[in-house]
Amino acid sequence: MLSPLLSVQAIHTFIGQFHILEGVSVEVPAGSIVALLGRNGAGKTTTLKSILGLTPPRQGKVLFDGQEIQGRRSFEIAALGIGFVPEHRAIFRDLSVEENLKIAERNKGDLERKADFIFGLFPDLKRLIKLPGTNLSGGQQQMLAVARALVPDNKLLLIDEPSEGLAPVIIESMMEAIRQLSADSTVLLVEQNFLVASRLAETYVIIEEGRSVKSGSMKDLVDDKETIYRYLGAA
Amino acid sequence: MPTALRKNRTQLIILAILALLLFMAIQGMSTKDWVVTLLRALSVGAITFLVASGFSIILGLMDVLNLAHGTLFMIGAYVGWSAYVRPDTLIDLLPPLALLLAGFLLGPIWSNWLERLAWGSRRRHLWPWAGLILALALLWIAAGKFPVAIWHAQEYTDSPIVWAQNFERGLVAESLTPAPRGGPALLALVGLLLAGVAASLSLAGLRRRAGQMSGQVAAAARRRALIGCALLAGLGLLIFLFDDTLTRFLLGLDTTLLFLIAIIVATLAGASLGALMESTLIRPLYERPIYQIMLTFGLAFIGTELVRAVWGRTGFTMPRPSLFAGTGDGCPAASIGGWFTHKCSTILLTFGEDTARIRTYNEIFVIIVGLIVLVAVWLLLQRTRLGMIIRAGVQDSEMVEALGINVRRVFTLVFALGVGLAALGGVLAGPSMGLSDAMGANLLLGALIALAIGGLTSYPGAAAGSLLVGLLQQFIIKYGQIGINLPFLDAPFKPSPPLVPASTILLMVIILLLMPQGLFGRRE
Repeated sequence: MLSPLLSVQAIHTFIGQFHILEGVSVEVPAGSIVALLGRNGAGKTTTLKSILGLTPPRQGKVLFDGQEIQGRRSFEIAALGIGFVPEHRAIFRDLSVEENLKIAERNKGDLERKADFIFGLFPDLKRLIKLPGTNLSGGQQQMLAVARALVPDNKLLLIDEPSEGLAPVIIESMMEAIRQLSADSTVLLVEQNFLVASRLAETYVIIEEGRSVKSGSMKDLVDDKETIYRYLGAA
Repeated sequence: MPTALRKNRTQLIILAILALLLFMAIQGMSTKDWVVTLLRALSVGAITFLVASGFSIILGLMDVLNLAHGTLFMIGAYVGWSAYVRPDTLIDLLPPLALLLAGFLLGPIWSNWLERLAWGSRRRHLWPWAGLILALALLWIAAGKFPVAIWHAQEYTDSPIVWAQNFERGLVAESLTPAPRGGPALLALVGLLLAGVAASLSLAGLRRRAGQMSGQVAAAARRRALIGCALLAGLGLLIFLFDDTLTRFLLGLDTTLLFLIAIIVATLAGASLGALMESTLIRPLYERPIYQIMLTFGLAFIGTELVRAVWGRTGFTMPRPSLFAGTGDGCPAASIGGWFTHKCSTILLTFGEDTARIRTYNEIFVIIVGLIVLVAVWLLLQRTRLGMIIRAGVQDSEMVEALGINVRRVFTLVFALGVGLAALGGVLAGPSMGLSDAMGANLLLGALIALAIGGLTSYPGAAAGSLLVGLLQQFIIKYGQIGINLPFLDAPFKPSPPLVPASTILLMVIILLLMPQGLFGRRE
């Protein structure tokens, strides 16, 4: 089997004096969607931030595309081809939709090159292109946050809670968009909504109290009511 | 747009009241009085804005409360004064600076070579520190041995006060004694180059990390470093060789041109100082805001003492450049054209029977420069990629970094920009306000009040707040001279001078009570 695109190996991360991750391992094969599952505060978001070096891990290894990336500066890690869609739709409020996309360019002309693909996924954004980010609705902001990660050629997308706080209709279109974009890139997804995660991802990793405790194929997990109940609460 | 009206109701009402107050204040004066007062307010506002805008951009992007900003404004004024009044000192200082920097630029050369060192862990960790100490010692010795022609604040006949007087009489060129040039000076330059090399080598050893750059990028960086080093060293040596010619050339220039050079020198010096300050002192403290405030507060005092040590405790003047200094034939000028032909210090503007005397430097030039900077920085923020990154970083610098952008470098650039603006303000204020060791603290206070009024991290807020502070100050000063006729008082009421600073603080308190975020601040 090919070596995975991303391999997180037993990382430990501290935030201040708090030991948040106490050994998380995640393998993300190229071309797949992997879901990180777990309760609130289990360490899913911190895992994503540790991969990117925003909360650098103190121990363990992170391999991306065959290179060790732990300990490097975040901007260097991101420039290797990792896109980040943070939780709470963290778009830049004072920038227009167009500027929000332009700022993500790594080479001049990225946005122009990808415009058809991005506006094909999110037709709304084309209509809103000149509006400031602060005027967008929650769903539109989430679309913009995903679109921003698609502007440069990223091999891996780290997407944090894409369905959080969205209306069911919008969740459907968001899922459709993620399914389509995953044709070209690999996705590591954090998702509280098990229904959404189970319909998108092929494999899962469960994180419990800062440790990765279980992983496998999503098909098996859907039937394993006991595991779902134990680690995720009622599904 | 009824919703927009409702949303900004308080803001609009306050602006309307302020406009009404300004209107009433103008009604109480003769035309010539209010025109001059308005122009003075714009002038004070422009200087305040130069300090406030830099402070606010730094605070917004990096959350650094730079309490040394006023001191840096003052250093800008003193550096500008030195380049202006004593060009020989400026020229003397360039070669050592160029050679030190040339050595320092060699940084990227070493990393490859250091990889191959097979030293034990202890030696590997200790030698950079030894190297740094060596670099400092070399710098200390070599800098001390390089002769620089300079004034002496402790002897009255050689003090900045006297040099400023000599400058006004056009006597600087004859009173200069050039610093000795020759073998020892050249040796000192070599020592400075070596100090720079030692420093860059040690720093490369300190931050050595494996496999950071691909071979090609590293090779390009090495080539750039070599070229930069060679160019700088060559330039430094050239200036050293033609020291005297250059000094004579600068002294022969019209003082207006010399003043432009002084503005550029002071702004660049401020920007370099800002970049140096950010990358060495502020950067380790981003996670510790309290330490940061203590650091910048301390730096403000150190800077003030440094200024006192080099330029003396007493204040002195910065002579106005020739374009704004004339008092002879045809002055005061009756028109802008007359000003340019006779280079007058004042223009007379006629309103019916009144004529207003307008000082060309304070009340025209300073305002124009302020407006140019206002527009230039606005364009930088709104129209360039750097500006876009700054605006995004003000909200969420972590996310900007996660997009693959080196935010740390942007921080250094913005700090340099902010301090450069303050230094520009300082050199601009020199000819109108004079130089003193208290000018920084006074101006920082005004700028902070302006920012609190306008909204701490808002660019339009910095402009509006500075303008309001200037207007309030100048109108109260003017009314202190002519008095206000109040219906229930027999004699006109004359606001006393202490009311000037009090009034701006009162305005700040009132606005903050009504709008806690300031006029243009964002509600969090």
